[in-house]
Amino acid sequence: MKHKTESLTIGIVLSTVPKYSETFFRNKIKGLQDRGFRVILFVDYVHVDDADFSCKVVTGNNFNGSIFKTVWYSILALITAFCMHPKRSFTLYALNKKDGMSLKKNIRSVILNQFLLKEQIDWLHFGFGMLAVTRENVAAAMRAKMAVSFRGYDLYLSPLKHPGCYDVLFTKEVQYHVLSQEMKQALESLKIPSNKIQVITPAIDTQFFKSNSQIQKQDCIQFATVARLHWKKGLEYTLEALALLKKEGLNFHYTIIGAGSEKERLVFAAHQLGILETLSFTGKMPQTEVKKQLEKASIYIQYSIQEGFCNAVLEAQALGLLCVVSNAEGLAENVLDGTTGWVVPKRKPELLASKLKSVIKLDDIEKTTIKENAIARVNKEFGLKKQQEEFVAFYTSN
Amino acid sequence: MKKALKIAVYSGDIPSTTFIERLINGLSNEVCEIYLFGFRKRKVSYNKNVSVFAYRNTRIRKAIFLLKYSFLLFFFKSKEKQKLDLILKKQSKNLLLDKVKSYPVLWHKPDVFHLQWAKGLADWVWVKEFDIKLILSLRGAHINYSPIADTALAAMYRENFPKVNAFHAVSKAIGLEAEKYGAAKEKIQVVYSGLPEVTVAIKNKKPNAVFQIISVGRAHWKKGYTYALDACKILKDNNVKFHYTIIGGAKDVEYAYQLHDLDLLDVVTLLDNVTYPKVQSLMQDSDLLLLPSVEEGIANVVLEAMQHKTLVLTTNCGGMDEVIVDGVNGFIVPIRDSEAIAKKIQEIQTIDEAEREAICNKALAHLEEKHQEQKMVSSMLALYQRIQNNEA
Repeated sequence: MKHKTESLTIGIVLSTVPKYSETFFRNKIKGLQDRGFRVILFVDYVHVDDADFSCKVVTGNNFNGSIFKTVWYSILALITAFCMHPKRSFTLYALNKKDGMSLKKNIRSVILNQFLLKEQIDWLHFGFGMLAVTRENVAAAMRAKMAVSFRGYDLYLSPLKHPGCYDVLFTKEVQYHVLSQEMKQALESLKIPSNKIQVITPAIDTQFFKSNSQIQKQDCIQFATVARLHWKKGLEYTLEALALLKKEGLNFHYTIIGAGSEKERLVFAAHQLGILETLSFTGKMPQTEVKKQLEKASIYIQYSIQEGFCNAVLEAQALGLLCVVSNAEGLAENVLDGTTGWVVPKRKPELLASKLKSVIKLDDIEKTTIKENAIARVNKEFGLKKQQEEFVAFYTSN
Repeated sequence: MKKALKIAVYSGDIPSTTFIERLINGLSNEVCEIYLFGFRKRKVSYNKNVSVFAYRNTRIRKAIFLLKYSFLLFFFKSKEKQKLDLILKKQSKNLLLDKVKSYPVLWHKPDVFHLQWAKGLADWVWVKEFDIKLILSLRGAHINYSPIADTALAAMYRENFPKVNAFHAVSKAIGLEAEKYGAAKEKIQVVYSGLPEVTVAIKNKKPNAVFQIISVGRAHWKKGYTYALDACKILKDNNVKFHYTIIGGAKDVEYAYQLHDLDLLDVVTLLDNVTYPKVQSLMQDSDLLLLPSVEEGIANVVLEAMQHKTLVLTTNCGGMDEVIVDGVNGFIVPIRDSEAIAKKIQEIQTIDEAEREAICNKALAHLEEKHQEQKMVSSMLALYQRIQNNEA
């Protein structure tokens, strides 16, 4: 396909403009811009403070407002479709029809995607799998290449919530980006050719997350986890493991950094398990505060049930914490068992408890070796620069 | 002639949950007047001694409703209206909505205001300023875990529990929990929920070829289904033949993922909500009702299973050990213990038909003694009367 612009233009589709803390997309966009790419961000909503975002932001109309507004926006969208880009609109309609989309859904698709159709781009990259659902033909209508990124949730959980949601997507010419080899294998098992899938792991700012602490003897062991308070993070199993340690008389404190809808569930679990007094919920924190909290801890736990890769574990390793994680999807690639941390089978609190005990008992030399291995690997493999280069290659070599 | 007692049964919604509706219908067969206030979700017909003063949830309906009661109070109970307005102004976060809720109560002035959900207590303490007796039901999450996670709620309970005239506890356990927030022991009366009498004789059941386990309840973490599914994994690994069905568990991604994760798709079925008669029929056809909850008052579904002569395995959460005695009229395991659930299921599978029959009969006898609907209604009525006569 011939480039429509002198430098490649990448259209990235997200729900909202990435917040300051969402380093993944911010870093990706910055990296592409630094390499001369033009980036357009397509989002459903913008906030006032998104005005100074570093690239052009195109927003769709809000069709969830009043009936009057919805009808008005629909009329405007149809006029635009007929007058401004009839060819693209018709192509989208025809391709959707070929996929068996009903007339009503098809017209809706043409209306809702007008804000995408008006731009000239080389790549249309959906930031999450679910964002591409019912938009499988938009890139083709725009004569752009299509890419889709899968995170853990949308690859493993969304199809359980919406069975068959990717059936149409998987028939299309798409380049997929995933976070881990495990996710690549999951896509391959769904008959996606290997050469259509590229693993680009998350990356962190290794200058910011720099270890400056030595192994400290602590009378009260400090455990920490950075996680949304969501069942997929396996925090209930973690609490059960810690309750076992408490029964054995271990003196510890556990800090959970993050917010979410399941706080009540976790507080009640901690209460019933008799460890509420040894637990702190800090709520959501800015990155500098997260770093400060992690620096107080010696062991980082990420005993997730489902996890694409997990940036927080990279950050903890970079800060020199000893990391104990579950074997949920990408975590076993994030931490190499016995080399840069420890990997425990998920949903087995007794195994987690036993692993935590053995890690605490290690001598300083063993702890330092693991810590140094982890820091070296994160610096080498998971830096922002490497990730940026991989994304440049993703767009230029496909 | 003695005036009939006017009782407001307030849950906020009309109709309310099954067990509250059961109380309303039961009371409506007694000599008393029942007032229902709140938001009408759909039309319901009650006996003629039940009066419904409800609003529809549209702005215009609420405005008309408010105008009507503002007018009545302004012209006929002006001083009381002023007093209530002052109270609401001090405490209200949404003054207009609070007036919509409160004005009809002040106008109709029941003798007793029976509040069903503790979280709403601060909004209704004002009734005491107008000589209306306040009774609060102590139910489930409102007492057992919400105040543990929400310190502001716990503080509200500590401030307002001493103002309540009497508490209706659905179990002894929940009464004890409420005492932690300042509910006076002598004001708490345990009234167990009751089931209507079964008129059809229950047939002796034959065990299924594959041991059928069932759970019934919404997909909520407090139901402890994750522990039940972990137990299923243990059973499957031990080559135990069984099938487990969760009614109400469909559409929940956490459970769906756990089935996928633990390779349980062939031994577990997640069903969507089904009709009440269908639930009863499925429960009757099952070999075991499993209640893996981490929190309950007393789960009605256990009582219903006992009524169907289906064996029950429950955790010892909340007031469940006031219903089930392990090995006598059912089975009981500790909360949050998948190993214990799996082990107990394997034990239950080995019991013979005579033993099963004996356990089910003891369960029925327990229901007859403690959980009759008529007993629940008469106990509640007695509580209302005592409060009204200042004997509580």
